[in-house]
Amino acid sequence: MADLAGFSRFARTYQSGEIIFSEYEPGDSFYLIQAGRVRITKIVGDIEKNIDILSAPEIFGEMAILEGAPRSATAIALETVKVLEFNRANFEILMMGNPQIALRLLKVFTKRIYDQKRRFMILTLDDPQAKIADVFLMLDETQGSTVPGEQLGDKREFKVTVDDVAHWAGMNTAEVQTLLGHFFNQHRVELFPDHIVVKNINDFIRFVNSKRKK
Amino acid sequence: MPKVGTYRANSVIYFQGDQGDKIYVLQRGRVSLNYNDIETGKLIREIIQTGEFFGVKSALGRYPREENAVVLEDANVLAFTVPEFEAFSMSNTRIIIKMLKVFSNQLRHIHKQVENLMENPTAVNAEMGLFKTGEYYLRSRMYSQARYVLGRYLTYYPAGKMAEQAGRYLETAEASLARYGDGKGPAPLAGSQASSPAAPSSPGFSADQGGPSFSSSQAAKPSEGASLSDVAKEYYNAVSLFSQEKYQEALKALKAIADGGDDSEYVAKAQFDMGRCLFALSQWDLAIKHFTGIVQSAPKHPDMADILYIMGQSWDKKGDKARAKAFFAKVLSMPGDEDSSARIKAKKALNALGGA
Repeated sequence: MADLAGFSRFARTYQSGEIIFSEYEPGDSFYLIQAGRVRITKIVGDIEKNIDILSAPEIFGEMAILEGAPRSATAIALETVKVLEFNRANFEILMMGNPQIALRLLKVFTKRIYDQKRRFMILTLDDPQAKIADVFLMLDETQGSTVPGEQLGDKREFKVTVDDVAHWAGMNTAEVQTLLGHFFNQHRVELFPDHIVVKNINDFIRFVNSKRKK
Repeated sequence: MPKVGTYRANSVIYFQGDQGDKIYVLQRGRVSLNYNDIETGKLIREIIQTGEFFGVKSALGRYPREENAVVLEDANVLAFTVPEFEAFSMSNTRIIIKMLKVFSNQLRHIHKQVENLMENPTAVNAEMGLFKTGEYYLRSRMYSQARYVLGRYLTYYPAGKMAEQAGRYLETAEASLARYGDGKGPAPLAGSQASSPAAPSSPGFSADQGGPSFSSSQAAKPSEGASLSDVAKEYYNAVSLFSQEKYQEALKALKAIADGGDDSEYVAKAQFDMGRCLFALSQWDLAIKHFTGIVQSAPKHPDMADILYIMGQSWDKKGDKARAKAFFAKVLSMPGDEDSSARIKAKKALNALGGA
């Protein structure tokens, strides 16, 4: 990687177990990992869920570009971690001399913009049941782009919980539970503690499209 | 090498929904990106200037094209594959920086649109979410993580409706960390009932029953709301410093509050916490002297039991077991809550020293 030696004033070290930032904390910095691994977690209900484990030279906390938006997950040092800490005001200084990092951040933003747009599409559906179905379509689209070809006909398995679905649909867990129960009674989904199976994704596509038309 | 493509007027370079891996630069002619605004459904025509890139996001992010790229006047277009674009960008950082700015603005815009659709104002969720995150870590006996999160809660929401509770939890986290270490010791909070779990976006986040942690006096607290004094903010900043083990800085901040003397409630709190800082700094003599001053000048100090307990601990650290015992015994002889943390701690300390 290019010369990062001149950026020592942005360098931070975290010890194993130390929190870099907490979920819900307003964020104004984002981070480039230089050494060590960082665990990204979220507390869902009563369980701390691991979302990701990141290492050099990955970027995290980039939504701080929104300034003051609450963090959507917690970042904890998994071992001794060295990072460069940046914010909206000074990130250009780093990017200027480091096109690899700039490109990496550009890709991260690309992904986030898509995620947000897709989320917007879900939230603008009026029918709550369609919102839930559309969450699965979104998950299918994003999973599909990373694992092309590997699909089992119309059936899809999603490693999500009811809480996750509720979060994406902008609904409360109880309501989502009830509506997923309806889908289950219609034999359209199967519910497991750590995953949900959609039996026919095309059925969900047709259902969402029928609700989207104005 | 990127290839030049020539397109006739009225032809289409790509359609919405296409999977495309090319990034384009317009060299000559006119191209319009046509799409429906996601909010209003209105058709938007975005004219591309010569020299401008298009198709960047969908190619880099590997998702379907979001617009029709329609040629208005005969055009020459340079097409990069993603690897070609990446190679090109290595020597053209300015272009990437410019794109970063455009994308970060787009991200801010769409984020705001999404926010507006959420059922609850995020701010309320964020405050309760942060508190519950701290509570979760405390319940899981991850004391140092609990200490960080609760410290942050107090920094951001010094007048928040859970501020008092967070302060108490923070104290518990610190005490448990010091006594047992992370992951050890008895459960500081009763099981999972301490507060009911809730999804990040569920309504009624703050309106749920809240478990046993809510008391009526705390419920009345929000009325003071944002108007809480600067002194309070300074105080909770100092508490946050303390929780980050920045004792010297905390001590300085607390001294400023105590010397300011504006608000008797916070002066008293600050005086007490100054003693805790001195103790944390292993300044036993100074801690004893400081607390003795409080005992003499403010015998009705609300934290008296804790003051006497820490004085006992200070004597213990100095090796004076007799005096330590006397202070712990004094804590136990005080009227008031049988289950107060100071009493429990004093009882334990006394047992450790071989009884009264």
